[in-house]
Amino acid sequence: MLTSGPVVVMQVPEMLNVREVHSFMQELGPLLESNRPRIVLDCSQVRSMESAGVEMLLRCLEEVLKRDGDLKLAALSPEAEVILELMRVARVFESFQTCEDAVHSFHAIPADAIPQDTAWYTNVFSELGLLKQAS
Amino acid sequence: MFGAIIVAGVPSVESTRTDGTGAANLNFNDGQPPFACMDLLGRSVVARLADDWKRNGASAVSVFVPQRFASNANLWTHAAERLSEYQRQGLSPVLIAQVGAYTEIDAVQMCGVHEESGESITRAFHGGSPLNLWNVTPERFPERESLFDALCAARSADYQVRGYVNRLETPQDVRSLVIESLGRRCHFRPKGYEHKPGIWMGGGAQVERSARVVAPAFIGRGVRIADECLITRGTNIECDSRVDFGTAVEDSSVLSGSYVGIGLDLSHSLVDGDTLFNLRHNVKLRISDPFVMRRNNAHGTNNQLPSDFETGEMILSSTEELAK
Repeated sequence: MLTSGPVVVMQVPEMLNVREVHSFMQELGPLLESNRPRIVLDCSQVRSMESAGVEMLLRCLEEVLKRDGDLKLAALSPEAEVILELMRVARVFESFQTCEDAVHSFHAIPADAIPQDTAWYTNVFSELGLLKQAS
Repeated sequence: MFGAIIVAGVPSVESTRTDGTGAANLNFNDGQPPFACMDLLGRSVVARLADDWKRNGASAVSVFVPQRFASNANLWTHAAERLSEYQRQGLSPVLIAQVGAYTEIDAVQMCGVHEESGESITRAFHGGSPLNLWNVTPERFPERESLFDALCAARSADYQVRGYVNRLETPQDVRSLVIESLGRRCHFRPKGYEHKPGIWMGGGAQVERSARVVAPAFIGRGVRIADECLITRGTNIECDSRVDFGTAVEDSSVLSGSYVGIGLDLSHSLVDGDTLFNLRHNVKLRISDPFVMRRNNAHGTNNQLPSDFETGEMILSSTEELAK
């Protein structure tokens, strides 16, 4: 059963420096501690990002994954994209063209929520048993 | 025997490109010297042009490079004074270039075309658009308040440049000059020695044993490449720059005196100190984190006359020197 709350979309500030990271984390912190947090960070306004900003994103991702949630990036500005590529972390995050796309991606049915049929090999073995009985 | 005047300046409206790419709007270095004044593959375009004209028989070459790049007007006033001086000395014709662009011309041939034309000015053209390169007969030159305006407005003969031309207005132009040079598609040659086929090194460059440099590439004088780095795909690291541990630099230009930090992935970019221009995303960034990128302390500033300018007969001057 899925018990996660709604998807939360948050706007990342224009300048992601040490000071901005601190105030942004004060807003984001409680969300990270919820059950299965589902967060979309809107990066469309980002014009500059220091390594503290990149570290914050990684820390947030780590926290949400620990709680079985996910954090996705949306509408990456070219500046944000360049910084994430430069810092070798672009591939770590799932990113989407728009916030809507990112939100919808959470509503896609997760693999673990699909009821699994009996494995194919169980049928094969039961049929083999029948063959043995018949012989 | 001819004289020459080189004015290092940002391209004027006259010389903006007409290829419809709009690339001229991407101003990398507002208020900074043009790319032609910066070391590219070990030597600046301005210095190379002066060398070339000297080799081709110029009796005197005057180079005007501002220390703090602000206005072209001041430089042109000094250039006009130098032209009058050449006239008094009987030096004729005089080649005048606003650099700007990297142009491969035959100076002697252009002087010949100018003399045959009988005009007081001959202007160079490339692909139908004018270049800021003129050949002038000082004694027949019209008196004007501004030398640059006079050069642009006066009736002139045309000289078609058949050689390679790169306008060097944008970071894209810089990258294409480097790629074409390393691919031997123009006469712009790296300054240094060929350490391995396609890998050029300047004097005193230090590449750690575990770093990999894949051709074509240029490592300038005094550059330090730390362990586990990868330098590849036509990258040029200019003099006194430093690339720190584990960083990969691909299809990029790192201009003189820049520091590139630890564990980065720098690609399709041009870096000058703390300024990064990414060509793929067409975006210019100022990196405020000195651990990521900064001006290398060992170098100081890039906004200087090239340190290896040869003096001798060459007259070197800057607006500041002239103002004294």
